Amino acid sequence: MKLSSAVLWAVLAAIFLYLPFSGSDYLIGIGLSMLMWLALTQSWSVLSSLTGYISLGHVVFYGLGSYLVVVTWQQIPLWLAIIASGILAGLFAFLVGSPVLRVRGPYFVILTFGLAELVKYLLMAAEAYMGISSRLLFGTPDITIIYGIMLVLAVASTVLLEGVHRSRFGHGLKSLRENEEAAETLGVPIARFKRTAFVLSAIIPGMVGAVMALRSTYFEASQAFDPMISINVIVMAIIGGGDSARGPLLGVAFLVLLSELLWVEAPQYYLIILGCLMVLFVVKLPEGLLGWFQNRRRRLMEQKA
Amino acid sequence: MSVLEVLFSGQLLFAALLTASVYAIVAVGLNMTYGTMRLLNVAHGDLVMIGAYAAYWLFTGLGIAPLWSAIVVTLACALLGVLLYSGLLKNLMARAGGTARLEANSLLLFFGLSMIIQNVMVSVETATPRAYQYLSEIHRFGGLSMTGNRLAALAVAILACLAIAAFLRWNIFGLALRAVIERSDAARIVGVNVEQVHKVSLAIGFGAAGLAGVLISMMEQFSPFIGFSMTIAAFIVIILGGLGNIAAGFGAALILGLLETYGVALTSPTLRSVLLYGVFVLTLILLPQGLFRRRLGP
Repeated sequence: MKLSSAVLWAVLAAIFLYLPFSGSDYLIGIGLSMLMWLALTQSWSVLSSLTGYISLGHVVFYGLGSYLVVVTWQQIPLWLAIIASGILAGLFAFLVGSPVLRVRGPYFVILTFGLAELVKYLLMAAEAYMGISSRLLFGTPDITIIYGIMLVLAVASTVLLEGVHRSRFGHGLKSLRENEEAAETLGVPIARFKRTAFVLSAIIPGMVGAVMALRSTYFEASQAFDPMISINVIVMAIIGGGDSARGPLLGVAFLVLLSELLWVEAPQYYLIILGCLMVLFVVKLPEGLLGWFQNRRRRLMEQKA
Repeated sequence: MSVLEVLFSGQLLFAALLTASVYAIVAVGLNMTYGTMRLLNVAHGDLVMIGAYAAYWLFTGLGIAPLWSAIVVTLACALLGVLLYSGLLKNLMARAGGTARLEANSLLLFFGLSMIIQNVMVSVETATPRAYQYLSEIHRFGGLSMTGNRLAALAVAILACLAIAAFLRWNIFGLALRAVIERSDAARIVGVNVEQVHKVSLAIGFGAAGLAGVLISMMEQFSPFIGFSMTIAAFIVIILGGLGNIAAGFGAALILGLLETYGVALTSPTLRSVLLYGVFVLTLILLPQGLFRRRLGP
């Protein structure tokens, strides 16, 4: 078990380290998009898988990060802008965290969606007021550099999720997922824990958004805050299932390949399949593929015993 | 126009009333399904979209006037509600047990359904907005001028609201429905057939949404993506008005209609979404107790 997961991560690291040297822009592109979704989904899980507060607005951090890089382009050093993007996203989460995290269940889901849309429309109105419809970036770094930064972010996100998952803090989060009142009675500082998890889950997507703005070389609020990004993240996470970093990995690999096949040719079919997967996993496999495998293994063991 | 002229224009008041009456019928459906089953149907607005397209097909294809097809579409959407309940929701709810996590998951389920509905419609009809001309002659009353379709829509919407209110107030089944919204488990004990109530509330809710779609299609253009903003508007209305409180819901719809119409008129149409989502986020954040008191209370 321990060994197999170590082997899994080693093989993955080897593949992703090799990709930029393959020389194929297509492969690097796919690798980059996998790393991007991995970083986003793992960071989403820090709040949403561990606490059960399912956010449908993860894209807001991504969009804010993108915007910061674009606005400060060629005015401050790039590394500083990327770090600042993470800080901005974290700060935003910190500020809206306490009122937003008081709202529970389905209301939280729909509130996070509404909040992300509100920020998107506010930014669009502000840009329109300034007479800007889209912003272009000139002289962005080479794709291998972008790839390298994204690899670091994906690893950081995975380590973050695994770290939180195993920590005392993570157990606190999982306890409030099971029963918030009981956790509070037993002395888990739920308000502070939720807010910390929210901030932690916001920082990396901010930086991911910053890096992806370099990749697309332009910024338009409706694209950088596209709610489809949040939806993809959720579907990836629920396909994988589980609390640990291995679940999202399955979902990410599956959906990136599916979108490679369908997105360009027939986006509406991709979206229909995405919707069907959402329904299927919520109704039939709420524990995700990982949970399903584990249940199966447990049942087989019980049969043997 | 000066600010005062905007505020006192009868034209705007009429527009606000019309928006409000459409929101009211969409919201009353969402309120009933949420109130009785505690399932937050974010695909509710997509039924409005389906209703709009159905009226468009019946009118352009078969030449059936939307005011007649309104009856057919309402019944068809009601049937859809019954089928969805028997086919999917009944089993889901039997398993759910009502914990917060499953509630959040059920929202994802409806979100998935919403994506399926929207994109199937995109495959069938493309994403290009549609519209048709129906009763577009202009009537003048003093300084007011309004098209026939808007007058008809307002009349039908108000009638539908009154009919639903009367059903809940005086019909014995309406009473059962209110009882389930109030205290589901207690209603079961005193002999209310809760499953039957769920089914009827879905039928009425879905039918009302379909009807709203027909009315919208008479007045303005629509695309496969109009659903979500409808859901959001309906959601604001039921939070403001209070869960299960149908009469207050009508008042809340009026508030939102006035707020939206006058807000856009005083600022600019680009701020419509900012206004809608702003009100939405603020109501959710500022009124969380209002939302949960009923559920957690004794």
